[in-house]
Amino acid sequence: MFRRILAHEWRMLTSDATVWTLIAIFALSIGYGTLNGARWTRFQHDAISQAEREERDRLAAHQATIVAANTGTSKVSPFLDPRNPEVAGRRLAGRYAVMPPAPLAALSIGQSDLLPYYFKMTTDAKETVTAGAELENPQRLLAGRFDLAFVIIYLYPLLILAISYNLLSAEKEQGTLALVLSQPVALRTLALAKVTLRLLLFLATIGALATIALLAAGVDLGNGGVRFALWFAAVAVYGLFWFGLASAVASLGRPSATNAMTLAAIWLALVVLLPSMFNLLATTVYPVPSRVEMVQAVREASDEANGQGSVLLSKYYEDHPELAAGGAEQAMNDFNVIRVAVNAEVERRVRPVMDQYGRQLVAQQSVIDRLRFLSPAVLMQDALNDISGTGAGRHRHFMAQVSAYHETWRGYFVPLIFRKAQLSTLADIPRFRFQDEPFDRTIARVATALGGVLLPGVALFVFGLRALRRYKVA
Amino acid sequence: MIRRIARKELLDTTRDGRFRVLAILVLAISVTSLLAGWKHYRDVQAQHEQAQRATRAQWLGQGSKNPHSAAHYGVYAFKPKNRLSMVDTGIDPYVGVAAWLEAHKQNEFKYRPAQDRTAVQRFGELTAAEGFLVLLPLFIVLVTFSTFSGEREQGTLRQLLSLGVRTRDLALGKALGVAAALALVLVPATIAGIVCLSLTPEYGSLAGDTARAALLGTIYLAYFATFIAISLGVSARARSSRLALVVLLSFWFANSLIVSRAASDLAATLYPTPSAVEFQSAMEKDLADPSDVEQRFERRRQELMQRYNAASIDAVPINFAGISLQEGEEHGNEVFDRHYGRLFEIYDRQNHAYQIAGIIAPLLPMRALSMGLAGTDFAHHRSFVHAAEEYRRSIQRVMNYDIAERAKPGVVYTAGPELWEKVPDFQYEAPATGWVLEHYRWSLLLMAAWLAGSAWFAFSSASHARVD
Repeated sequence: MFRRILAHEWRMLTSDATVWTLIAIFALSIGYGTLNGARWTRFQHDAISQAEREERDRLAAHQATIVAANTGTSKVSPFLDPRNPEVAGRRLAGRYAVMPPAPLAALSIGQSDLLPYYFKMTTDAKETVTAGAELENPQRLLAGRFDLAFVIIYLYPLLILAISYNLLSAEKEQGTLALVLSQPVALRTLALAKVTLRLLLFLATIGALATIALLAAGVDLGNGGVRFALWFAAVAVYGLFWFGLASAVASLGRPSATNAMTLAAIWLALVVLLPSMFNLLATTVYPVPSRVEMVQAVREASDEANGQGSVLLSKYYEDHPELAAGGAEQAMNDFNVIRVAVNAEVERRVRPVMDQYGRQLVAQQSVIDRLRFLSPAVLMQDALNDISGTGAGRHRHFMAQVSAYHETWRGYFVPLIFRKAQLSTLADIPRFRFQDEPFDRTIARVATALGGVLLPGVALFVFGLRALRRYKVA
Repeated sequence: MIRRIARKELLDTTRDGRFRVLAILVLAISVTSLLAGWKHYRDVQAQHEQAQRATRAQWLGQGSKNPHSAAHYGVYAFKPKNRLSMVDTGIDPYVGVAAWLEAHKQNEFKYRPAQDRTAVQRFGELTAAEGFLVLLPLFIVLVTFSTFSGEREQGTLRQLLSLGVRTRDLALGKALGVAAALALVLVPATIAGIVCLSLTPEYGSLAGDTARAALLGTIYLAYFATFIAISLGVSARARSSRLALVVLLSFWFANSLIVSRAASDLAATLYPTPSAVEFQSAMEKDLADPSDVEQRFERRRQELMQRYNAASIDAVPINFAGISLQEGEEHGNEVFDRHYGRLFEIYDRQNHAYQIAGIIAPLLPMRALSMGLAGTDFAHHRSFVHAAEEYRRSIQRVMNYDIAERAKPGVVYTAGPELWEKVPDFQYEAPATGWVLEHYRWSLLLMAAWLAGSAWFAFSSASHARVD
């Protein structure tokens, strides 16, 4: 029976030209959005290989200098001598710490155009190392990208509403609803059939087109199979929410025009207004002070620390007695050694200021994490970014590794600086290997977000089906 | 007659409960965002001003040292916040706030505020400009879509025309009526804006704030008028109110949400931005190229020896160390101008293409103008970056020429506060309003075209309005 109703609905739906127009618009947007995302991913891959090439060439050149200087065939200025661990570690032999795009990064550009994905490591303060950023026209960052996530978050619900605002009201207004229901079919079955068919139509369009576009863009789907399945589930859940909303509104039995207005208003509130209000609220309640304050704090601390370099050095030796072994006396006047101690002191002093930025951001995030359950659009943004590995979660994971790498880097160079060792090879300098976030953590986050979309979606359906009992057919 | 029509339209609109709800909502959003913008401006501006004073004090109080050490110590330039940024924050969250002005190097402005915010930032910031450019047009559409089609559907349009009302008057009257209804929202919002502006401490960065604010208000009004005219025109032409609403909502959606993304993506495809690593390594390669510097040194050496009629450079009464430092700077400056110039040119071209795409959506030229007048666009950022870099170069010149004049070879030379005082405090004067208008002449032209075109569309649609 249900299948016969579906077949009937399919006939009704396919005879409607607007449906096909909407689907065509949707299909075009999906294709363009996916290709756009893939282009950005390709750009990132290119930048990463440029960085790798640059690092390889640079280190090879410095290695050649070392060999030449050691064999005495050429002289090298002490400021540019790669054998000096201070010079090598701080300026010449920097290696890149890179976070490559995740397998399905093309599905959502997310924060990846804003948050840097590679850093050149040095012995400088961590804040200096991580202050770099990818170049981008700020106006483009402001506008955002036309990627698949944009199509899914904004356009998809709007099209769902456009195709289902008159789910029952159209037939009621034409007078055909009573005719259909004169057959042995329940109104709820009919409504369910209408929604199922429309949802399937949308999902088929998205699934097919995204797959084709991804393959056309040369994305390896086999590598990200689970992610793609997760992504598809997210799209299905989000669609379910909006169809749930449409059926809940339809079940109230108002005319089509009223339904359209109501649904458009809800879309505007959930997708456009609430997210920016959340942002306003979070940034007003927990404002992150301008980084200008941090810059000044570092400056003040280093001015003071520089004034007491040798005092700091002896204090540093107290904390690191192992380094004092190699002739502490003569090191006292060594500029490079003092610099290490001064940097450590500066970092110790400004840590409270630094922590403040992190704390405020965490506070903002926790406000958003609670509020987001009021807007499926924000939940969806989180889910899509997490699935594509372009969200804050994976980036935090990367930053933690960058911090650890910074420690390792210093752990390698600082003892050499204290020992006044001469590097004979640059090959032993520690390398960075990005460890991707454990996938179950990603899945857990995505599941929470999707749960927040699914639950109200189901509730809306249940509400709709119950309200249909009181639906006046004519 | 026109007045009477306008009054009827106003009465009709304001009696509608939906209008009241919408009006209160839009007003609340505008005022909230203005207040938030005002608070944010005050906080950040205070932080930046204080930091700017502190960096100056540090420069002056750095004690006795060699001028070149002082040049390495340098100062910081902090991006001042423009007063009108409380209306439109523009690109401010996406550009760095601080640059270190040190010897040998043009550093980028670092620390983009958006990096210290959560991902919801990317849904767009709720600013007064956002309210005016995105939400108010929607409000206009909802208030206006049925003005003609509704009368037709009720059968009152036929009556009206039978009274001998000219369709042109009808269109004008209705437009004025809608405008009056809109004024109920706009006037309080404007008053709030003026109050906020006048409650900010005087800060000289934005010359002619008042002129800018007035112009900003004017172009917003032109934009609203465009939307009213388009809505009336569509309402007159559409078969039914429903169709009018669908057409207008699609236009609003495309204009507000799709086109700016699509246009900036397209612009970036036409003029691709290089990656940071590509940019940096190309620049470093040029900086490290010794041939140009060597030539410069040689040229100056010959020049000096000629001028002082000396047989060797050591006989010249000028310390060549200072000269060579300065020549190194000049070489660097050329490289920076070339590379940053090329990069900024790419951005400018992208932004120009974005403006031109305003042929298909009025929001694009409006955004450009709004940010431009608020002083939060890329052109203003570039102007500030340029000023900061010029200041850095002036510091280098003062330090290096001092070394050239005073330092004696082989003797440790230190200078004191008198020299640091010779470098004037960093003062930045934002470009004049005329410069903004000149920079955005295409946007102005496009906005004028949209206004004229939509007015024509409204009148011609009204005179051919369907009666049945």
